[in-house]
Amino acid sequence: MKKYLALFLVSILLLAACSSGSKTEEASGDSKDTNEITVWAWDPNFNIKALEMAKEAYKAEDSELNVKIVENAQADIIQKLNTSLSSGTTKGLPNIVLIEDYRAQSFLQAYPDMFYELTDSFKAEEFADYKIAPTSLDGKNYGLPFDTGVTGLYFRTDYLEEAGYKVEDLKDMDWNKYIEIGKKVKETTGKHMLTLDPKDLGLIRTMIQSAGSWYLKEDGVTPNLAGNEALKEAFETYKAILDADLVKPVSDWSQFVAGFNSGDVATVPSGNWITASIKAEESQSGKWTVAAQPRLSNNPDSVNASNLGGSSWYVLNVPGKEKAAEFLGKTFGSNVDFYQELNTEIGAIGTYKPAAEGEAYKAADEFFGGQKVITDFAAMTEKIPQVNYGLHTYAIEDILAVEMQNYLKGKDIDKVLEDAQAQAEAQIK
Amino acid sequence: MSKVNSIISYTVLVIASIVSIFPFLWMIVSSTNRSADVTQGRLLPGSHFFDNLRNLLDTVDLVPALMNSAKISIFTTVLALLIASLAGYGFEIFQSKAKDIVFNILLLSMMIPFAALMVPLFRMFGKISPVAPFLGIDTLTAVVLPTVTTAFLIFFFRQSTKMFPKDILEAGRIDGLNELGIFFRIYVPTMKTTYAAGAIITFMASWNSYLWPLVVLQSPENQTIPLLISNLGSSYSPDFGVIMTAIVIATLPSALIFFIMQKHFVAGMMGSVK
Repeated sequence: MKKYLALFLVSILLLAACSSGSKTEEASGDSKDTNEITVWAWDPNFNIKALEMAKEAYKAEDSELNVKIVENAQADIIQKLNTSLSSGTTKGLPNIVLIEDYRAQSFLQAYPDMFYELTDSFKAEEFADYKIAPTSLDGKNYGLPFDTGVTGLYFRTDYLEEAGYKVEDLKDMDWNKYIEIGKKVKETTGKHMLTLDPKDLGLIRTMIQSAGSWYLKEDGVTPNLAGNEALKEAFETYKAILDADLVKPVSDWSQFVAGFNSGDVATVPSGNWITASIKAEESQSGKWTVAAQPRLSNNPDSVNASNLGGSSWYVLNVPGKEKAAEFLGKTFGSNVDFYQELNTEIGAIGTYKPAAEGEAYKAADEFFGGQKVITDFAAMTEKIPQVNYGLHTYAIEDILAVEMQNYLKGKDIDKVLEDAQAQAEAQIK
Repeated sequence: MSKVNSIISYTVLVIASIVSIFPFLWMIVSSTNRSADVTQGRLLPGSHFFDNLRNLLDTVDLVPALMNSAKISIFTTVLALLIASLAGYGFEIFQSKAKDIVFNILLLSMMIPFAALMVPLFRMFGKISPVAPFLGIDTLTAVVLPTVTTAFLIFFFRQSTKMFPKDILEAGRIDGLNELGIFFRIYVPTMKTTYAAGAIITFMASWNSYLWPLVVLQSPENQTIPLLISNLGSSYSPDFGVIMTAIVIATLPSALIFFIMQKHFVAGMMGSVK
């Protein structure tokens, strides 16, 4: 009897806990001083610095506005946003928040009323095309595109030359050529070609986006795994790279960074934001070059450009939103000089097309043997195929990471993708 | 035979202590190395501790965060010990038919994960905010209140009270002490070891707590140490030497409290098991 009573009381408690938080209260937002806006972002060396520079640049427009920059880790921002938005409490929310492009749609679609439309605050056509789909919903722009995750193939020129190749050989190559060079590099220098973390399928993501394909169909919700030719070839390429023994396995970020800082690997296929980590090892100055990412060998749609990561700014629908939108529009949305500064100071490459004409983008980098790295990246950015990242990028990637291991153990590729499709459909409803 | 036994048991103990000590050793060694050395797994102490420390102090507001963590942990520990020991004492000493039912419900509440309570709690504090800003969202009070006592701690005190000699209570009553007097003058001094163990458990949990402070604290002035460390790792190219230095500093208070109260802690834990 006692047990039943206890169980009953606990159920009531749980029910009470679950039933709250269904409607949003506009009124609970606090009456903020309208001359102050708050921004949440992560990475002190990159996004936070960019914001501080934007704050300086904006002083010329409106010296009254106080921009309060709050640093939070990316995972922390997601946790805080989800808790606040799902409990319908706007108290304490910032005016502007940085969200990674892969995750943007899940926020926009789950809480459409909570974001402030930015369509009139900037000109979408002046930004790289591929940034627009993830940052907009129903034809309205909610995110102001920020940094590009344009990928490059960072290559150790000394290893390359030792293997008998020249930098020109890397131009617009495909993954078969990459494997061919890799085998030669391994043979002559004994170095691995790249590091891979079995939990992180970033390389697969960049491969399929280079062919204009994604884990999800264009609606952003239907899984697009079984029968996805680009994905199939990406899996096959991934296996071929492993079979050729070109990979040094790693299990986390620090080992990944150590892989190239220690000179153990010859290449780093990654987003341009890795530049800072590569340049951290000053003794390797002059020994690196950046080539375009290889394309898929048998896919006619695949181009030598792709994207990994990258984020955009969003304005939340709380008091102060107009000021916040204006702040973004006048800095990240249209200021060419500001983008030059961003580039010189922190190496950030924006997705604002007019910025590529500026001086800073044309500078030669001695670390990369005098290569005009930024010019090259900016040119590649414009070629990145546009895809809709949809709602479930990371959920599907968890499924694929497991199926990838099955595939590597010898399971048939079509069966692998069909099984992944079935799991994804069951999980995403 | 006994020699063989002791060799085996010492081997096991040595391996177990290496496994438990290694992370601490690595943490301390890494705090003296450059980021690039840390990623390459260097196990020898370097000479960059003060560089790391300077970089850390330059990039973040370490001292205010330490103060916030200290305030929260000390308040939580003092309040939690007071409330939980009163409750545990009451549950064990006083007789009532409803007592066991209430206690069972209390224990069942241990089964609800905090993640399930987080959104309703946040909503609750969000609603209080306009009425009573001093205990709403983004205040240190909001961090302390939900953790001010736990079912576990009440359970812990009730179990320890089981071996408290009840005859003393009678003696106290005969000598004219009221119930609160008995609690504070007789019970508290005799249960010192239990309090020490409870203090360590609560202080550590509070000092290290992450999820609730993360969602409820918004402004950087209110940041606690775990949040600060989480931010340090947020960059695309984190400086692992600096992060390790911050972790060493964050570990010191917990370690200090543990070493000071270690003797009592062991005694307290043994007591509650008996």
